Amino acid sequence: MELFALPLVFALIALVAPKSKVNYVGLIGAVVSMVVSFIHVAFFSPDQYVSLFAPDFMLTFGLTFKMGYDGIGLFMVVLTNVITTLILLSNLNREIAHNRAFNALVLLMQFGLLGVFTAMDGIMFYIFWELTLVPIFLISYWFGSADRKKPLMKFFIYTFVGSLAMLLSFMALGTYSSSFAYEDLLAVQLTAKTAFWVMCGFFLAFAIKIPLFPFHTWQPDTYTVSPMAGTMLLSALMLKMALYGMVRWMIPIAPEAMDTLSCLVITLGMIGVVYAAVIAIKQSDIKRLFAFASISHVGLIAAGIMLFNKDALAGAFIQIANHSLVALGLFLAADILERRMGTRNMYEMGGVAKLAPKFGFWFAAVAFASVSVPLTSGFIGEFLLIKGLYNYSWIVGLVAGTTLVLGAVYTLRAYQISMFGAPKAEAFSDLTWNEMLTFFIIMLIILVLGIYPQVIIDFVGPSLDLTIESVKGTKVIVQ
Amino acid sequence: MDALIVIFVSGIVAMFISMTHKPALVLATALIGLSVGIGLMVNQWYNPYLLFDYNGLAFGRGEVIYSVAAMAFSLLIIAGGYTYFKREPEHTGEYISLILFSLTGALCMIGYTDLFMFFIGLEILSIPVYVLAGSKKKDLQSSEAGLKYFFTGAFATGILLFGTAWVYGATGTFDLRELSNILAEGTANGPLLFVGILMMMASFLFKVGAAPFHFWGPDVYAGSPNIITGYMASVVKMAGLYAFLKLFTYVFAPVSDLWSGALFGMIVLTMFVGNLSALRQTKFKRLLAYSSISNAGYALMAPMIISDASLFNLWIYLLGYGFAVIALIVISLIVNDESDDIESYKGIGRKNPWIGFVLVLSVLSLAGVPPLAGFFGKYMVFSSAFATYPILVILAVINSGIGVFYYLRFVMVALSSEDAEQAPVLKPCVLQWGVLAICAIGLLLSGYITL
Repeated sequence: MELFALPLVFALIALVAPKSKVNYVGLIGAVVSMVVSFIHVAFFSPDQYVSLFAPDFMLTFGLTFKMGYDGIGLFMVVLTNVITTLILLSNLNREIAHNRAFNALVLLMQFGLLGVFTAMDGIMFYIFWELTLVPIFLISYWFGSADRKKPLMKFFIYTFVGSLAMLLSFMALGTYSSSFAYEDLLAVQLTAKTAFWVMCGFFLAFAIKIPLFPFHTWQPDTYTVSPMAGTMLLSALMLKMALYGMVRWMIPIAPEAMDTLSCLVITLGMIGVVYAAVIAIKQSDIKRLFAFASISHVGLIAAGIMLFNKDALAGAFIQIANHSLVALGLFLAADILERRMGTRNMYEMGGVAKLAPKFGFWFAAVAFASVSVPLTSGFIGEFLLIKGLYNYSWIVGLVAGTTLVLGAVYTLRAYQISMFGAPKAEAFSDLTWNEMLTFFIIMLIILVLGIYPQVIIDFVGPSLDLTIESVKGTKVIVQ
Repeated sequence: MDALIVIFVSGIVAMFISMTHKPALVLATALIGLSVGIGLMVNQWYNPYLLFDYNGLAFGRGEVIYSVAAMAFSLLIIAGGYTYFKREPEHTGEYISLILFSLTGALCMIGYTDLFMFFIGLEILSIPVYVLAGSKKKDLQSSEAGLKYFFTGAFATGILLFGTAWVYGATGTFDLRELSNILAEGTANGPLLFVGILMMMASFLFKVGAAPFHFWGPDVYAGSPNIITGYMASVVKMAGLYAFLKLFTYVFAPVSDLWSGALFGMIVLTMFVGNLSALRQTKFKRLLAYSSISNAGYALMAPMIISDASLFNLWIYLLGYGFAVIALIVISLIVNDESDDIESYKGIGRKNPWIGFVLVLSVLSLAGVPPLAGFFGKYMVFSSAFATYPILVILAVINSGIGVFYYLRFVMVALSSEDAEQAPVLKPCVLQWGVLAICAIGLLLSGYITL
């Protein structure tokens, strides 16, 4: 219970805390939740399921309120807590952090995310899934740039409609099952046709949130107009809900439709990888560039998940962690540049590396992590994913491989244009202590995971084995 | 029955007390009457031997929950609208006692077991509302609303009576239990019965404001005093929909093949008409009116499903809807803007965080965002319809998607931070704070009720 409820408590505290100290209240809230999740990790062995909340009553339509975690869930919980802490840490000295509503909303968002990752009931999952939409919308709406209204409306409607499709799928499942508890939903045996539509509903919701290729049009605008914290929450955490949802809900619940849909999803993922990367190369707006880079990276993860074998899934989870950290670092760097140069246009920047050597170093480190050079976690993750995709089909493997090349092109190009050359600004104040600390923690985790990725594989492995077994064990009835 | 009498008597007492020109006394009478009524009803729920069954009027457990909700909504409406009522102290008693009389009719409509009693209930409900709709006497729009509502309502009543006569001609009875026995035997089936049922359905759909009988809705909603709009959207709708459910889902079930097709078509029409027309509204109450039309469409899905669960599903739905509408109406009273433009809500949510909180809760609940009551209501109605009418549910879900657009636009106006500087600081009175708090609690928790 305390694992997911603590952020809510701190959110309420943040609402009444004095304005000068509220940034610390927010940070302390996130740190406390993080420590609590570490304690849970310490008492956890990866092959077990821990129930957090299981009342013995349920609502008339089958909502059971069950919450709990296994290896996958706890992994995502820890990731959420670490990332939220880093987001609040990187904002600590800014004006925005002294706003009560901001801290409360970030913590509320954290609460929603933790709920998503620990929900063991379909409707609970849906409730928390939608709950995260409100705080992120308000963060972007209240603290975003001036031209934010249209993109945000598009974002909200897009994701809400996607979620409604998922709700339809749950309704369809509800007609076969007595309750929405995870194990009851797993036990439902669908015909291939029903399973196809159920999976389509889930897929639409997740594809919009990830976002996959034809559903991505809300993303670059929304990322651009959101404040830094909003962009970080969106890219580092919110889209991970969808990737997690694919592994936890979409595929295990309707495995009967895997054969029909996996080809489509992998194709869309691959189109996204190349398409977004090519667009990223042509961008001059640094925040938009990283937004497209994000589409490119997650397309690969989504494709890998659809393979649903152990290696690819392990790679996907390493990459989930890696992408969260890298996105955090890149958007922090983009925001530092935007804030201190007064523009997002890369061509109006330049020479920053000379003026701010510390920033130059850490930005370079994150950029290299994004390009997945060996010894960073991205290398392992992408290697496993591309290997899996290559085994699926060599053409797909080849296309997936271009992500490494194109990724290097757009990231290093962005770095080169913005950081090198003749200085275009007179002064550029270097990193503050909290920004430096954020970069340091990000790089530390990336390096540790890059050198010893087995820690993630061992952690999520047993749960993945169970899920894969249940998916492989489902027989397909053709009607 | 005792609750019915208490409410009627408190209405009469309130009317006479108003001669003292002390609005507070009138309010106290009404609130005490309603509280006693609610208490009596709740008592019946826990002591089923008190449940009442008399020729023409019966309060079983289903009726009790609907009556409690209708009385609670009236209580919130009267308490929330008190600042408005007391502006003209000589008329306060009239407003409040008319609402109480109308509520008496609503309770008759909820508890009827006889078509005759139903008709009486409908008239007792409607006539005070016609008067209330036109009660801003110097306002042209309000007079228009009253007149329009009265004329169209009179036609609908006429058609209802005509339909009832046909049904009576076919079956020879007004009593619901006998009717359902005769219909189950199938001896009465014929054109006479079918025409009668369709006429009754048309008149019901008029009362709840479903397309294509919705044209009175926006004008009447926009012209009436705000608080009466809230009463129409919450209590009148609740009584009408429950009466519809009782008659069609339980009595006319054996001939459901006949009317379910027509209802299916009208639900689809209602949802699309309501949502698409709402998209471009600039006035707050017209927006609310079209939103209420689309909500009537969703709610009518419950009577489509011949099942005992429909009763409870519809109740949860209407509970969430009622709390949301009452909260919004009370907020509009607090904002107190004559022009009624959506633009006049600019930034008030940012400037007045607590009112903004309730406003966001209610609008998001109307849009169906979990974990608010509106979501549970929608989910229960939709999911119980899914097995029988999947296409209808898919269309309804598409409509929920359309609906988000105008709900979100309203939220964005109310929460906009640029306009927060010029936004007025609102000062609701204690009663209004209480109503808003109850509505907020209701929106947050009523979805989890299990009986």
